[in-house]
Amino acid sequence: MMKKFLIRVNGKQYEVEVEEIKNTTSQPQPSNPQPQVQTAPQAAPKVEEKAPQAAEPKKVVAQEGQEVVKAPMPGNILKINVHEGDSVNKGDVLLILEAMKMENEILAPRDGKVVSIAVSEGASVNTGDDMVVLE
Amino acid sequence: MNEKIDKLLDTRKKIELGGGEKRIEKQHSQGKLTARERINLLLDEGSFVEIDAFVKHRSTNFGMDKVEANADGVVTGYGTIDGRLVFVFAQDFTVLGGSLGEMHANKIVKVQQMALKMGAPLIGINDSGGARIQEGVDALSGYGKIFYNNTIASGVIPQISVILGPCAGGAVYSPALTDFIFMVDGISRMFITGPQVIKAVTGEDVTQEELGGANTHNRVSGVAHFMDSSEEECMARIRRLLSFLPSNNLESPPEYNSTDDINRIEEKLNEIVPDNPNKPYDMKEIIGLLADNGDFLEVQENYAENIITGFIRLNGKSIGVIANQPRILAGCLDINASDKAARFIRTCDAFNIPLLNLVDVPGFLPGTDQEYGGIIRHGAKMLYAYSEATVPKITLIIRKAYGGAYLAMCSKDLGADQVFAWPSAEIAVMGPEGAANIIFKDEIKESSNPTETRDEKIKEYRDLVANPYIAASRGFIDDVIVPSTTRPRLISAFDMLESKRESNPRKKHGNMPV
Repeated sequence: MMKKFLIRVNGKQYEVEVEEIKNTTSQPQPSNPQPQVQTAPQAAPKVEEKAPQAAEPKKVVAQEGQEVVKAPMPGNILKINVHEGDSVNKGDVLLILEAMKMENEILAPRDGKVVSIAVSEGASVNTGDDMVVLE
Repeated sequence: MNEKIDKLLDTRKKIELGGGEKRIEKQHSQGKLTARERINLLLDEGSFVEIDAFVKHRSTNFGMDKVEANADGVVTGYGTIDGRLVFVFAQDFTVLGGSLGEMHANKIVKVQQMALKMGAPLIGINDSGGARIQEGVDALSGYGKIFYNNTIASGVIPQISVILGPCAGGAVYSPALTDFIFMVDGISRMFITGPQVIKAVTGEDVTQEELGGANTHNRVSGVAHFMDSSEEECMARIRRLLSFLPSNNLESPPEYNSTDDINRIEEKLNEIVPDNPNKPYDMKEIIGLLADNGDFLEVQENYAENIITGFIRLNGKSIGVIANQPRILAGCLDINASDKAARFIRTCDAFNIPLLNLVDVPGFLPGTDQEYGGIIRHGAKMLYAYSEATVPKITLIIRKAYGGAYLAMCSKDLGADQVFAWPSAEIAVMGPEGAANIIFKDEIKESSNPTETRDEKIKEYRDLVANPYIAASRGFIDDVIVPSTTRPRLISAFDMLESKRESNPRKKHGNMPV
């Protein structure tokens, strides 16, 4: 039995035909192939996920004992004051995030060492994007 | 007769030992004080008078008839703080884990009702394992009565909750209904469902401290208002808070003789705001320079730090301060900041504390999470709270005051009695960059050098509009003042407003968006 679904992924509409595979059926065969319809079988499992982000932020993996400093709001990285491997004290300015017409100082939440920096000067970030990993 | 007196004294002595030496020792070993020690630390020395020490539970279920619970696990009574009457209850963890049964609840309800009748603050110290299961619905009913009385007393007397131990399940709602919640790092725990239930239902692993510790509720959830590192500091801070509050809604807050010059000219205020409008500065410095002796009691210091709330004194009188913090999130208003400010404004209005609003706000924080989270509904709370407040309201525009956020920070139209501005103020419907892009869209597009034209137009707009004088020419600003003279100007204005009388139409109650 063939069912037709309209599936929208990233604003693009796909018509997908789905057939339920019974145990008795050896091989599913498209009973009525429609070449003019653009099918996107790989899109089907994606529907399960949440709406994908427009631009995937660079992800960094924080190990135990590490702390990721995330962007508090959307904006542009104006200046990065630290390098990987630097030691920082709580309250030090890690970088400047220009957002809402303000040069926001992003401060170190605690004493530690800069393990990695996930952003570069001039990059734009969204709320919650990883910026700096402290150890 | 002497024999009877001795018997009375013996019984009282036994009751005052609560759950006995062993359990007291255990309480101490956990770094916690006992209920009676806490009360004595909080109140003026020797002022505590206990009520209902002889109350006993009536439960006979599950062998409870053989269980003796001194004072039924809660110490109640009255005393003074700085000589002013307060009522107090403290749950005694050494007696049946401070669990709440019918009579335990009745004792709390009795002091709630006395505090309301006498118009005096009520301080509740929570340290309890929760409902006394053996007493079933009687215990549940007890919670219900406490919630009801919290609500009836809300806005009439200051109600303060101190969490000094576990406070879980339904028990959290009594503190949640009160005006201020104090927590102590490492000791306090508040949650609706504990880690075991969460593990069983959602599979999440979380410790008690992560889930409901002082840090969590002061930084993340915004449930609590104050965090201290010891019970001693916590009690001292409660006493300090009460010095800013009246005993009830019909009184004015206590006045103190100011030792700080009311005509103090503060040259530093002329320097604090950077010339570049994109540079942040610390608003708390300004608050400190304006306040009597630089004394500022911040409320919810670690939550939604983009807005600052707290109490100062000007000429010895309590003032509630609401201020944008340009250092955090550019000073934008967002969901949490709106909630925090609206609640604080209403607390001040309920207790006749005038409001001082220090404005440097670029707007509401943009983003889908804000819109989906209901910033419209939450932001509306600020507008509502400011409009509804009938206490004297003074707004000082320090720098940016753009769009809806300018209104939400108590503009003239929301009933500010006096609006002052520093010469650095920029009051406009939006920032110069955005505005120039819209107004001069065609000119910029048709120009041979769009970037240059754009910059020119931004400058033109900034010079023309982004200043306090247009708003002042319409009367939206009462005066543009020299920053260094702010303290005397504020004191004079609040003095002038002291006899302000304003009332809203009679109604059952308004319908604030919540």
